[in-house]
Amino acid sequence: NVSPPEKPRIIKCRSPEKETFTCWWKPGGHPTNYTFLYSKEGEEQVHECPDYRSGGPNSCYFDKKHTSFWTVYNITVRATNEVGSSMSDPHYVDVTYIVQPDPPVNISLELKKPINRKKYLVLTWSPPPLADVRSGWLTLEYELQIKPEEGEEWETVFVGQQTQYKLFSLNPGKNYVVQIRCKPDHHGSWSEWSSEHYFQTPPEFRVKEM
Amino acid sequence: LPICPNESGTCQVPLGELFERAVRLSHYIHFLSSEMFNEFDERYTQGRDFITKAVNGCHTSSLTTPEDKEQTQQIHHGDLLNLVVGVLRSWNDPLIHLASEVQRMKEAPKTILWKATEIEEQNKRLLEGMEKIIGRIHSGETGNEVFSQWEDLPSLQLDDEDSRLFAFYKLMHCLRRDSHKIDNYLKVLRCRLIHDSNC
Repeated sequence: NVSPPEKPRIIKCRSPEKETFTCWWKPGGHPTNYTFLYSKEGEEQVHECPDYRSGGPNSCYFDKKHTSFWTVYNITVRATNEVGSSMSDPHYVDVTYIVQPDPPVNISLELKKPINRKKYLVLTWSPPPLADVRSGWLTLEYELQIKPEEGEEWETVFVGQQTQYKLFSLNPGKNYVVQIRCKPDHHGSWSEWSSEHYFQTPPEFRVKEM
Repeated sequence: LPICPNESGTCQVPLGELFERAVRLSHYIHFLSSEMFNEFDERYTQGRDFITKAVNGCHTSSLTTPEDKEQTQQIHHGDLLNLVVGVLRSWNDPLIHLASEVQRMKEAPKTILWKATEIEEQNKRLLEGMEKIIGRIHSGETGNEVFSQWEDLPSLQLDDEDSRLFAFYKLMHCLRRDSHKIDNYLKVLRCRLIHDSNC
């Protein structure tokens, strides 16, 4: 015999570039229909999810046209089957606070040989392609972690808003691995770490303490 | 910064440097506002679900401000500058009272009081800087006089603790929101006007 559906639960909302966002809910038993409803601060009107597909199963995707900042979305999900229905608790979202960018890309390394001064390595990277940092709409901060390839301990460095970093205190002729991640300058969460980038310091690379 | 006399022999800080200072200030003000809100929320309003009530708008809601990237990029820089000044002016009065009313709270939390006072001070400095920027861009002007009146002082002084705490919560919630808007708009304006939209 069939019972009314379990109360659905909204598990995550994320904006990858501070322009659109997606929310996901945890489904209950099958078969059940889900209706994603939302209202925006200062509005009585209740709307239904504009796009159930683009974010994958059990999700609602808000494109640019449906995404506003500095305003609270009141979100609920209703589960319905032939016996009855149940409503999730309300979930309050201001997209300003759910930005989690994609990882940085194009990590590269260059050996610098200034005249009469020690060589050093410059690590450079680019913001995630989706993030519009050029216009100033989104400002990202970066953090890198580096360790000898066989080593266990990562050394983590908060780099601020720049997209390059000079590496000094490395051992010559050694293999290293480095990763980088980013986060909006005020609110939101760190991206995943970038893919690992391996490199070897030149044998004649004389180090200087950081 | 070394004084840099221009052709007319007067000393002028370059517009780019004015914007850098404004963005540093707006970033700092928002950081403080966010910290103050979080500290107040953690200390006084846990479990009271004030967010559900706070969503009926801030005293600055009457100032129609851009709500997304497209609107922010489409608005003329002069209008966006005026909006920033309008929002800053709208916070002069409430920030004065916020600092004094926090002081009157039972066991006034020093860290929240310090932040409220610091924000009030820095908000004034940022407003002065923005008026200088507007005067530089539209020579002589200091921005139109549009701003939004705040009339919630009585609610900060209510006897009923719950209502009074909600009034503080809402004011700090709105300050966090508006200071983030200002910071965001100034970063966009800096990129547009100083770095040719190529930050």
